[in-house]
Formats: sequence, structure tokens, C-alpha cells
Amino acid sequence: MNPFYSVTDKQDTRQAQRLNSTTIAVLTIYGLVVLMIFGSRLVSPSLGGISQLMNVLYLSSFLVICAFGQGLVILVRGLDLSVASMITLGGVLSTTFMQGTNEGLYFIIPGILLISALVGVISGLGVTHLSIPPFIMTMAMGLIVYSVCLGFTEGTPRGFPAPMLNAFMQNKVLGVALPILLMLVFILIFTILQSYSAFGRKLNAVGNNPDAANIAGIAVKRMTISAYAISAACSALAGVLLAAYANGATLRMGDDYLLPSIAAVVVGGSSILGGRGSFLGTVGGALLLTTLSSMLSALGVGQGWKTILEGIVILVALIMLREQIFTGLQSMLKKPN
Amino acid sequence: MTERINISNLSKRYGATVALSGVDMGIWPGEVHAVLGENGAGKSTLVKILSGVVSSNAGSISLDEEIIRPSSIIEARRWGIATAFQELSLIPNMTVAENLLLPRASSGRFWPESKASIFERANEVLIEWEIDDISSQSIVADLTLAQRQRIELVRALSHAHCLLILDEPTAALPDTSWLFRQIRHVTSQGVSVLYISHRLNEVREICQRATILRNGATMGTVDLEGVDDEDIFSMMVGHESSHKNKASQENATNKEVLLETDQLASKMLKGINLKLHAGEILGVAGLEGQGQQELFRIFGGLHKPKSGEIKVGNKVTSLNSPRQALRVNPGIAFVPEERKTEGIFPSLSAAANISIPNFATTGWAKIVNGRLERHLAAEAASQVGLSTRYLDFEVGNLSGGNQQKVLLARALMTGAKILVLFDPTRGVDVGTKQSIYAMMRHFVDQGGAIIFYSSELSELVQLSSRCLVVYDGLITDDVAANEISEERLLASAHGPVNARKESIQEAV
Repeated sequence: MNPFYSVTDKQDTRQAQRLNSTTIAVLTIYGLVVLMIFGSRLVSPSLGGISQLMNVLYLSSFLVICAFGQGLVILVRGLDLSVASMITLGGVLSTTFMQGTNEGLYFIIPGILLISALVGVISGLGVTHLSIPPFIMTMAMGLIVYSVCLGFTEGTPRGFPAPMLNAFMQNKVLGVALPILLMLVFILIFTILQSYSAFGRKLNAVGNNPDAANIAGIAVKRMTISAYAISAACSALAGVLLAAYANGATLRMGDDYLLPSIAAVVVGGSSILGGRGSFLGTVGGALLLTTLSSMLSALGVGQGWKTILEGIVILVALIMLREQIFTGLQSMLKKPN
Repeated sequence: MTERINISNLSKRYGATVALSGVDMGIWPGEVHAVLGENGAGKSTLVKILSGVVSSNAGSISLDEEIIRPSSIIEARRWGIATAFQELSLIPNMTVAENLLLPRASSGRFWPESKASIFERANEVLIEWEIDDISSQSIVADLTLAQRQRIELVRALSHAHCLLILDEPTAALPDTSWLFRQIRHVTSQGVSVLYISHRLNEVREICQRATILRNGATMGTVDLEGVDDEDIFSMMVGHESSHKNKASQENATNKEVLLETDQLASKMLKGINLKLHAGEILGVAGLEGQGQQELFRIFGGLHKPKSGEIKVGNKVTSLNSPRQALRVNPGIAFVPEERKTEGIFPSLSAAANISIPNFATTGWAKIVNGRLERHLAAEAASQVGLSTRYLDFEVGNLSGGNQQKVLLARALMTGAKILVLFDPTRGVDVGTKQSIYAMMRHFVDQGGAIIFYSSELSELVQLSSRCLVVYDGLITDDVAANEISEERLLASAHGPVNARKESIQEAV
């Protein structure tokens, strides 16, 4: 044993463990969601029940799916502005190819995911190999994809999703809508992927310190590209589901998801600068945003006020989520000992 | 005569934990006063309080008998207190001139000052402090580490009217004579200097008195004339340090060659031929910027040579990426000098940082197995003397010494047989150094090989089983274990032995 142990050891006792504060942050968000849903009963008796909870879960499934991809891209220090266009692409491709029949459904969906992932790979290549800032690269990619959709559909997407997909969106098992179950499975698998797998560790490492990741033998570029590919595929999947939900695609169907996908990630406690974040936090952020939006709609708040209030809530959430508050909370919790 | 600065019972808490708990010291005008202590003894906190980066919780600082409480760097500077930080505080994308003149880079009131005038003012500063090899127009990011350190020092020197604080000023300087000349210059004008360094012989050369800190409190102030090193060490660590003797002197050069280069050339290198044998700690000495950095980065897969061959385990290999360097047989693990920017993943736990090379995964899905990860990390940590209770901490929160241990543990985790260490003990405390030395010796005893560069000659002397000296992109000397001495290395580092001998003979 090294005789100098004791001296070096003492100094580091001052460090609080931040891992705990992240957990507290995530729990706070979920607490807030529950509070808002059940608290809304006070405002209007028609709100605040289990049915509203289910409704919120159902509606948030689209956001949760595209926010996962956004979260991965943000984790590796990027930003995906092509989310809206990729949702549109997913929706347009699915309605066009399915044409209202179940034929070839099992090829079409993987095909759509593959095509969109390839688009994501192109964005990733631009970011890693041409050093184009992610912001610009994904915005350009989004514009291109959107314009292709526009030209391809001549302005009005036609066709309908497969009846099986429609049924999937409407059916329930044990009183729980299938999309909610799909979302839960998605959350389970991708939480493991992001936080407990070698792949997730590598992404975390790349976001934390790309130079160090390179020296540690991680294929930094490949990991970054895969984050963009996953994000594009996630958005396209959300687009397929949205088209099935709305029984048709529109060119603007993705617009409501771009900024919320970023907000969900950030409200969920991830660092917008990359290197830190958990999918469970992002899910909490998505739930919070969806709850807020559906509550305000139910209360009959006008669109302008709704957006203003949403903006304020995001701001307040971000201010509250700053670390100091949690270290403060932590020390308050510790005091009784 | 009254003390220039008097610090009394200074304390600082971060949350529930105490960084400083009663520091008392005084510095005379014109004195160079050393502050000694292990990493974490509170030196950095003391520097931060004096320079206005953080404020103290209790105690007082008085400057010329007036109580001061600097709350920002600019405010401290108004009292004539300027600091050269260990983690250099220059802005990389700005020119030397702009950095030097910060925070008042422009003297114009309504109209920005012309570039020419900024450069002119900066040139005056550079000339005043005897810097002739750095242009005021060059971008800081393009300078070598040693040059950046000198700019950082000049900025502090030019602003210090009362107190100059130097935190590890020679960490990246190949040669102290320039700095010491400038220090003597400012002290002759009555400026006091607070000098922090791990290098005791430097401290003895330039400082008159030293205050020793341990665990955030003053252990005492001593006249450096009257104490020997052992006394200082024992005040620092609380017991007498044991300096182990040199590594096993057995000759490793007849063992298997793990790494070999043939006429390796790049921008700085002009044809390097070297052989690294199993069981060998090969030291590399050299003044700053002689190409050693490129050589090590080539081995790490970060830099491509222009010509020449690298043989790893007797096979010609090209090392195109660190990933490839790690995968060749036997693997090469590179530990860079800049642990903050190129080493650690600050917000991952120490265990995750260490286990990065194989992620401790199980099953086809490669799910990280927390227990296995901890177990593997703990094993590697014990080899570098890192206490296992740090494994759950975020690495960004650990001290520099512990961060370095984490990086070395990671290098061990890679399973590589060849370690390429560039200045592995830069800026770490005595205790950590000993742990690192022990780990290096153990590693080569197990059949591995280490090539390491150090800016400290004493370290090369103590550790190397053979030592190469690089000068101007060439290996100018190859010193066997029993011939290594600081004098020999220093002499060779200033130019090839033969060339100088010849020129001397010619002169005769």
C-alpha cells in the first residue's frame, strides 16, 4: 500500500456526487407531470382523471420517439434540425406506399426506417467528415428532404396508411392503448441502449470529450454518424405513427415536433452542450410538454397564449433544473442525519 | 518594515467540506515566498482567494496593512495582485497581443484601437520581459505549451505591482533561467512573489522562505536556508517520504523488441531509429519542442509520419488511429500530457472512465455489467494506487493526481503491452508520483515496455533503464542505466555530444 494514500485521499471528500442530482431532477419532472394532471381537476372537473393520463401518454408517444433520437444527437454535441422534415418523410412515404392496404407492410416500415437512417447517415457524414456545424447540416438536410417530399407529392400527399396501422393506433389491450405499450417497450429498450450498453457508453464518452474518446480507441466519427442515423429513423417512425393516427400525411405534420423534441431533451436534464443526459429524463420532459399543451388546449386557451405559457414553463423548468438547486435540495435532505 | 501581505486564519468551505481551515502567512515586500504542499493541501484554493476567483468564508487578507477582499480578478488586479494560473487562462483564438492586453485589449474610448497600435503596445510588453521568439501577432492556439506558459507569465508580470502569484510556473518551461531573471527583476522593485511549485530545487533557488500547507492549514513557515528536503517533505506529508531507488538495473536490451522505428520522419522528426524492448522503461529527454511530442503522438496513432517504418512486435505496421494502435499486437496505449482536454471524460464516473477500453459488457447485447465494471476498474485502480472509493465519483471532480491515476488505470485496462506516456507526472503531487513510479516498474516487471518523456530530469534518472535524448528531431544520445545522470542528459539535450566535441576539437 502506498504510504501517500491518506494525504491524496482526504482532498476529494468535498465532491458531491452528481449522479444523485440527476436522479432527483428526473424524479422532480415526473412528480410535476403527475401533479399537473391530477391538479388540473381543481381547474375543471372534466380534467385530471386516469383518462386524461392515458390521453397524455398516448399523445406524447410521438414526441418521446423523436426526442430519443434528438437526445442521442445532442449527447454527441450535435443538434438535429431535420426532425420535422423526417417526420414528414416518414408520413409521406408510408401513406404513398401503403395506399390504404396491408400489403407489404412488413417490408415498407423497415424500408422507411432504412431510407431515413441513410438520410441521417448523410447528415452525420457532413458533420464528421466535412466539419459542417450540425445546426447547418441538419437544417440543410431537412430542407432538402422537405423539398423532395413537396415535389414528390406535388403539394398534397395522397394515399392512406395501412388499415392494420390504423387499428394499431386505436386498439387497446387491458385498457391501455397499443401505442402506449409500444412507447413503454421503446423506453425500456432505449434506456438500456443509451445508459447501460457499450454503445451508449461510447456515445457518452464521445459527447463528453471527443479528443479523449479518440485516444481511448473509440471510433468517434462512426459513433457520431450512428447517432444522426438513429435520430432520423426515430423521427420517421414517429411520422409513420402520426400518419396512421391522423389517417393521412400532410407536409407540415412534423412542424409541431422539432422544437419540442429539443425542449424535451433539455428539460429532461440533458446538457445541450452534450456529454450528459438520460433517456428517462427526456421522456419526463416530453410528458411534461405534452401535459402542458393538452391541458392548455382543454382549458380553451388561445393559441397565442398557449405558446407563451409553454415558453414560460420551459424557462421555469430550466431555471429550476440548474444544478445548484439540486445540490441545495440534497444538502437539505442530508441534514437530518 | 511591515509585511506586504498578511493572511490570517483564512478559511474556505465548499459545501460541507473544508478546503482551507486556517491559513496564516505573511510575505515581505520583495520576497519570493514559496507555498508547498501536496495536491489538495489547499494551494489552489489559496491562489483562487488571493486572485479573486472565489471568496473566503472566514479570516482576513491585508495588503500593506489594509484589509482587502478581492471579489474578481479585475478587482484583485486593481490592488496590484496578478496571477499566472497553472491551467493557463489565455484565450486560444486570439492573438498574443490581445491576450496580453486583456482585459483592456483596446485603449480607444469610442473607436476601436487600430491593430497596429495594439501590436505595438504588445511588442513593448514582450520586449520589456525579454521575449524575442514570439510574435505579438501570432495566434495563441498555434504556440507551443511552453510559449503559452511564458505569455501567461508575462501577462501576470506586467500587471503585478504589489503581489505576483505564480502557480506551477515552470510546469511547461524547459528552462527556468528566463523566469527567474524576470522574478528577480520584479522583486528588486519591491513586488512580492507567491511561488507554488512541486520542484523543490527550483524553490530553493529562487525563494527565501516557504510556508507549508497540509489539509488546508498552515504547518509552518520556514527559512529555506535552514531546512533540508527531508524536513520539508515530512511537514508536507506528515511523515518522512521514502524515495525508492532506481529501477532494476538489469539489462533488458537483449530481450524481445516490442517496438522499433526505422528512419522515422515527420514535420519535426528527421529520422528516428529506436528500439523498445520488453521489460524496459525507456526514458526520453529533451528540451521543449525537439520533436518528442510528435514522436509520441505517432506511436499513439494521432500523427502520421512522412516516411520511415514502425515495427510493432517485429511486423511493419502503420498506426493510423489510436484505435489501430491499441489493436496491433502487442497493443500500444498512449497517455497524453493534456489530461483535461485529451484524457478524461469529466462527467462519467471514474469506474466508467477506467473501463472505457472494454466496457465490462456481458452478453450479445453488450450491456454494461455494473458489478463486473466495478470489479475490473477496482483491479486496475489498485495497480495505480487509486483508492476504490473514488470509483463512483465523476472524474471531473477529482484532483489532478487522481485523474492521472484514472488515465493510467485505463491504459492498463486496454491490455496493451506498450505504454507510451508523455510527461505522466506533470503537475501531480509527490504521493501520486510515487504511485505512478511503482505502477511503471510493476508493468515492465510483468513483461511490458514503457517509453516515457518527462520534463523532469530527476525523474528520468530515477526511472529509466535506458534514456534517449532528442535534439532537433534526432536522437542525439542513448544513455545506459548506469551512466544516466542529470548532467549528462542536460548536456546532450543542448545539442549532439559528438557535434559539440568536434566543434570543440576544431576550436582547439
